[in-house]
Amino acid sequence: MGINIAVTGLNATDNPAPGIGVIRSIRHEGWDGEIIGLAYDVYDTGIYDMDLLDHTYMISYPNQGSETLFQRLMEIHEEHRIDVIIPTLDSELSIFQTLEPRLKEKGIGLFIPPREAVNKRSKAKLAELCEEHDIPTPKTISIMNPGKFDDALEEIGFPLYIKGVFYDAYKCNTRSEALKHFDKLRLQWGLPVLVQESLDGEEFDVCTVGDRDGEMIGAVPIRKLRLTEKGKAWAAVTIRNNELIKLSRDILKTLKWSGPCEIEILQEAKTKKLYLLEINPRFPAWIYLCTGANQNLPKVVVDLALGKDVEPLPPATSGVTFVRHATDLVCPLEYLENLTMYGELHKS
Amino acid sequence: MSSTFTTELTLSQSGFLFDHSTGLTYSLNSTGRFIFEHMKEGKEGAEMLALLQEEFLVDESTARNDLDDFLRQLKELGLVD
Repeated sequence: MGINIAVTGLNATDNPAPGIGVIRSIRHEGWDGEIIGLAYDVYDTGIYDMDLLDHTYMISYPNQGSETLFQRLMEIHEEHRIDVIIPTLDSELSIFQTLEPRLKEKGIGLFIPPREAVNKRSKAKLAELCEEHDIPTPKTISIMNPGKFDDALEEIGFPLYIKGVFYDAYKCNTRSEALKHFDKLRLQWGLPVLVQESLDGEEFDVCTVGDRDGEMIGAVPIRKLRLTEKGKAWAAVTIRNNELIKLSRDILKTLKWSGPCEIEILQEAKTKKLYLLEINPRFPAWIYLCTGANQNLPKVVVDLALGKDVEPLPPATSGVTFVRHATDLVCPLEYLENLTMYGELHKS
Repeated sequence: MSSTFTTELTLSQSGFLFDHSTGLTYSLNSTGRFIFEHMKEGKEGAEMLALLQEEFLVDESTARNDLDDFLRQLKELGLVD
């Protein structure tokens, strides 16, 4: 009997969610179970790639509460058994952390980072974490009171970044630029808004997975080669860099991180020193590149969610590249009808 | 002048050079490729100059200029110490 995997985050637009890359990774070496897509919107684009998904079900948005989501997942589970769920979005992590024990009781495995670790790496608390554990990070001030805005600008100095507590970061050279983005982010995501030092250097990303004890199972460092206007990778190459791996390993261990994450690191041009920028508590959208570089990290997460023991993977291959390619999926109107009227779609 | 590579580099037949630790790529012309390959074999100084003269049929001064220029660029890029 095959293992059935449910995956969220199917919207692959210019700011793609990681779900499609996760599914491609699981299918990479052949998969005898079924892949179930969990979608929030009938236009989550990945739904329409019928080579990837066996079934798709609409689910409730996280803001509708854990009970609503749990009941919906149980309806799906009764129709098509789910063995493992891989949530791939930041916004739904908290609700899956809440539901994890109940889902496990129903035989559904998850392998997601613990709430405490996720909170410690939040943008608002990252500087504190780094200071506590002697991890270099750009100087950051978390503004809870708009009256402290000018003090923060003065202390950090231009150029600087204005960052939202959940998403978005803007490089600013003047006070008026900074104020514009501060107000925008404050209204969009609420306080705190972060003011962060801008360091000159190269940015690298590492996708990694920690096991149940926060030990590194695998890690793939990359250099982004092309970015979208929103700064998302549209092309990248895997690299072999022991310093990036070591810093990532230390971070996982420090946080006792169990699960996947994407670590953003800057190497300062002048000193070559590494600075931790962010830890995203999920796979990156470019996760399929890891699989192409011989580290199938989604498969590792499935095994860990099933309670299996997993040994550390051999180093990833460097010099493997990806280029993202937007294409049109053509499908019959019935797909849209089924999703809209019944909240589900099945491969015929 | 003795130079040591500071990073792991792979050169393909076409002259496409990949730095494994940073992901940066470079294009080498035939002279650069020739020097790079011989540097990998530990050749340097007078021996390298003689090899360049023999391969490209140039005088010592031209060979020295090309070698110095290539090494300077490698150094500026942080690829040799």
